[in-house]
Amino acid sequence: MEYDLILARSVTYAQRMQRALNRAGVRSQLFRAPRDLTDLGCAYVVRISPYDLGTALPLLRREGLGPLRIYVQRGGDIQEVGL
Amino acid sequence: MIYLDSAATTFQKPPTVARAMTEALASMSSPGRGGHPLAMRAADTAFRCRTELAELFGLDGPEGVAFTLNATHALNIAIKSLVPPGGRAVISGYEHNAVTRPLTALKAKVSVAGGPLFDQEAAVRAFDELIAPGVDVVICNHVSNVFGFVQPVEKVAALCRSRGVPLIVDASQSAGILPINMKSLGAAYIAMPGHKGLYGPQGTGVLLCGDGQTPRPLLEGGTGSISLSQEMPDFLPDRLEAGTHNMPGIAGLLAGVRFVRRQGTQAVLRHEHALTCRTAESLRRLPGVEVFAHPGCPAQAGVVSFRVPGRDAETVGEGLARRGIAVRAGLHCAPLAHRTAGTLDTGTVRVSFSAFNIPQEADRLAEAVGDILRR
Repeated sequence: MEYDLILARSVTYAQRMQRALNRAGVRSQLFRAPRDLTDLGCAYVVRISPYDLGTALPLLRREGLGPLRIYVQRGGDIQEVGL
Repeated sequence: MIYLDSAATTFQKPPTVARAMTEALASMSSPGRGGHPLAMRAADTAFRCRTELAELFGLDGPEGVAFTLNATHALNIAIKSLVPPGGRAVISGYEHNAVTRPLTALKAKVSVAGGPLFDQEAAVRAFDELIAPGVDVVICNHVSNVFGFVQPVEKVAALCRSRGVPLIVDASQSAGILPINMKSLGAAYIAMPGHKGLYGPQGTGVLLCGDGQTPRPLLEGGTGSISLSQEMPDFLPDRLEAGTHNMPGIAGLLAGVRFVRRQGTQAVLRHEHALTCRTAESLRRLPGVEVFAHPGCPAQAGVVSFRVPGRDAETVGEGLARRGIAVRAGLHCAPLAHRTAGTLDTGTVRVSFSAFNIPQEADRLAEAVGDILRR
């Protein structure tokens, strides 16, 4: 399975992202960020389907929740996607 | 016990508060400290509580809602964020020690915008004269904890906005009772307890942070975010919330806030105001009792003070306690308010209400005071 991971700087921001996505009908899950994804340690990611990224990004920007970074996860492999 | 000391803390809480706290103890760990279900359940509850508070008080988002231990903690953060050592503050004549002691510790130059009790126009005129360039902050309590005087915070906020001076509102006696809107006030900070008009448990408080504020943390430590940095996060609420959260307290506060929103603040105010007026009129009929209320109790919320010349306020309070009535007597940690009102030498006996009091309790108080006077 392939997912997109949206990095958030704190659990509260990740929750705001999730709430905004839910309102727009985008399903998401919230997880602790793998260590390799964070320069400063301890963050959260919101996981969505790659099909929803086109909806999610402008929505989050409109809400003032511009994500820190986006990653694509394929199995155990995680790669950053340029914004 | 008839409990008439809700200005200190609301002792009677909705049953949902205790249930939520028990459930939190059984099912939640620490928000932002893991991805397992216990941590995520805690994070969800904290987020819901922030969100409901943000909606109730007109904030754009939940991140501007920081949990504190109480209103004093919240006021300390706000004051120490805006007032440099030796800075200048303009405060109302009815502030609590939670405001005046931090200002004293900062050696701030404090100007007091005093005025007669229940005279909102005089309060506005006093602030108008004192808010000038060079003032670091204006601090105004919304409702006096001693007299229930509703201060004209909307007009004070307008003065602050027009002169570019940040405003801190102490909403200790008004949160959950009077309408408060961060956006329309344009305040820098609004501080409030969780355990009074919001019906959460003791040990909960809230600091609402206005747009663009970067408060100074009173505590540094773990926040569950950007852990490699040795600086506190520059984003809210993490910047103000070092250490493990009081999850049972936050869960209880959420239940309390939901109770308030179901009741409606207008209904709570109407109820408490009616009890205040009823009490004031009953006490006024007793010979020699001096009641601090105007007829009809305009500009007064659910608090009323009285005193009996020749009788010590603490003695009257003790007499009421012996008759099964809980009130507060003395200076109520607000000597400035007593100085402004001219009651510093005697203090007062304070009666304060919550949504759970009934008119018969107010009548029973007047009977008990009458009984004390006859002895």
